[in-house]
Amino acid sequence: MINLDCDDLFDTWRQQARWLLSHEVDPSLVSWVSEGVEDLFASDDSPPDGNGPFQARIPLALLGILENAARYRGDQRWSLLYEVLWRVSHGDRTAMLAGDQLGSELQRRIKQVQREAHHLHAFVRFVERPQATEGPQYVAWHEPAHDILHSASEHFVARMGRHRWLIATPRDGVYYDGQRLIHERQCPVEWQRLAQNVDDPHGDMWLTYYSHIFNPARLNPKVMQGHLPARFWKNLPEGALIPGLITQARTGKQQDGQASGIAGRAGKRVALKR
Amino acid sequence: MELIDKLSILADAAKYDASCASSGAPKRSSEGKSGLGSTDGMGICHSYTPDGRCVSLLKILLTNFCLYDCQYCVNRRSSDVPRARFTPEEVVTLTLDFYRRNCVSGLFLSSGIIRSADYTMEQLIRVAKLLREEHEFRGYIHLKTIPEADPALIAQAGRYADRLSVNIELPTDASLQTLAPEKQLGSIKQAMQTIYTGEQTVLNEPRAPKFAPAGQSTQMIVGADDTDDSTILHSAQALYGNYRLRRVYYSAFSPIPNSPKSVPLAAPPLMREHRLYQADFLLRSYGFTAGELFKGPGHLALDMDPKLAWALENREVFPLDLNRAEASLIARIPGIGLRTTERLVELRQQRRIRYEDLARMRCVLAKAKPFFITSDYHPQQAEVTSHLLYQQLRDRPQPQQMGLWG
Repeated sequence: MINLDCDDLFDTWRQQARWLLSHEVDPSLVSWVSEGVEDLFASDDSPPDGNGPFQARIPLALLGILENAARYRGDQRWSLLYEVLWRVSHGDRTAMLAGDQLGSELQRRIKQVQREAHHLHAFVRFVERPQATEGPQYVAWHEPAHDILHSASEHFVARMGRHRWLIATPRDGVYYDGQRLIHERQCPVEWQRLAQNVDDPHGDMWLTYYSHIFNPARLNPKVMQGHLPARFWKNLPEGALIPGLITQARTGKQQDGQASGIAGRAGKRVALKR
Repeated sequence: MELIDKLSILADAAKYDASCASSGAPKRSSEGKSGLGSTDGMGICHSYTPDGRCVSLLKILLTNFCLYDCQYCVNRRSSDVPRARFTPEEVVTLTLDFYRRNCVSGLFLSSGIIRSADYTMEQLIRVAKLLREEHEFRGYIHLKTIPEADPALIAQAGRYADRLSVNIELPTDASLQTLAPEKQLGSIKQAMQTIYTGEQTVLNEPRAPKFAPAGQSTQMIVGADDTDDSTILHSAQALYGNYRLRRVYYSAFSPIPNSPKSVPLAAPPLMREHRLYQADFLLRSYGFTAGELFKGPGHLALDMDPKLAWALENREVFPLDLNRAEASLIARIPGIGLRTTERLVELRQQRRIRYEDLARMRCVLAKAKPFFITSDYHPQQAEVTSHLLYQQLRDRPQPQQMGLWG
């Protein structure tokens, strides 16, 4: 068994995989360390020296597919990619397709990664630091499940214009200084502190909107949880409102759609001028 | 009145409009520019409320004062609700604040009718103009269009907005006369025509100023009177055909406080709205026509999705051989969607399709089983009568635990 460590970097893995493939090393004989965890049955067979004779030919699209799937954090993160590469380079393109057993796992990983990028675009919440003359003007704390932060953050460069912003996570972090996007694989403690301890004096506007746009007569928490998984609630300002709104809707507010705060106020009929 | 009070009243008043889509806009970016905002065609749902609905845009009314007396509407003039009115500047402030927080991808602005249709429309346009011109806002803007407004104003709105919509509310003139006496099907369709003409004028003219690039949509209220699903879907089909609408939204009538006697006290089952959306999707993306889904007047089945119901009515088409059938027919098999169809076609160019492939592609096998053939599978149920299959495949409601408070 050959044991490799690519430091969870795609480019490093790619070099290693290219070299293994040139020696036609069978996927069953290689394992990769991921997240610092070694394979239980790993042993230290030494890999062959230099490049081997096998000239692998693969479709161009495969590289993009593998790079995407590589952002998935999970078991056999790198070995699975090598197995796909092995099969495709030996003429079996079904390994890339959802109809195949391996291919369907590959496609599932890509889908999870895309979904997580979309979650970043949707659920990041920036808080303004109004007094910030230097450093980030907007900060956010986010906890993605896969390694999508760097690639998916480009979205905010287009969105936020010349504003300076920062997204910190438990692992990596990004900072846009108005001109460049800076990615740190290990999020600096200073960034994490900025993102987690920030006052938001005007946060109540959004909370008011959220609780009034909800229609209690159509309560459907299951659908909501399908789209907005509970793991995101704790970092969303509206997350804390959800259980209360559900309970309130269940205890008798279901007949009509109006929020209770509105029903309690004095109304006004509009008279027509004659 | 404080801004936050206005927000609570005017968000509460806007929740009955189902649409909250932010998709279909052209690519715009603020990278390295002053101003704010981007669009890339894909909509983003920034949050979900406990009713399962997506929050994509700041959806508010400019005001809920209204001269009209539409019976199904909480803001009708005879309704006893708290009233408020934003200034255009206040809407701009809220939109930009929520946008910077990444809570929304833009604004969906509608309004009650005050003074006149033209005056109201001018106010809506003013908000969009402020956002686009003063604040260089490049996010998504959806403006509700007042049908009776001057076509020149509608054309102006199309310059600023990504999407325009005119609500058709009820699909027949008779229903409108009873429930929305100030509205007329004629002027609603006229407004749709104005928007359609605006879109067509700039089509294939890359240098022309954009006109509502995300197209137009509309909304029909379901269950406020006894219009059946067949009428609703036939008129949706006509709207898709005549005005190239991007979407028709179906909004189950939501009972309102102090409801007038002319509308029902209870909401229609939410399942009815769901079935209409499913059927609508079959019209838009699967090549079905409303005539295929309905043999005559009537409703869609509540206990079965419309594609399955169609398949049971048309058994002579099935079972289909997945290794040979045309893609458009494969997509008509219940439980097999467009994506799976695509994947099957991709796979069968490499090798023959087997039964287990379908399980792996996560299609709904229980529904699909009687309707397809693969190289290693022939359905036993192919000979079973549609009636028996209906009994086996229809949805049975789960037994429900009663709520503690009734």
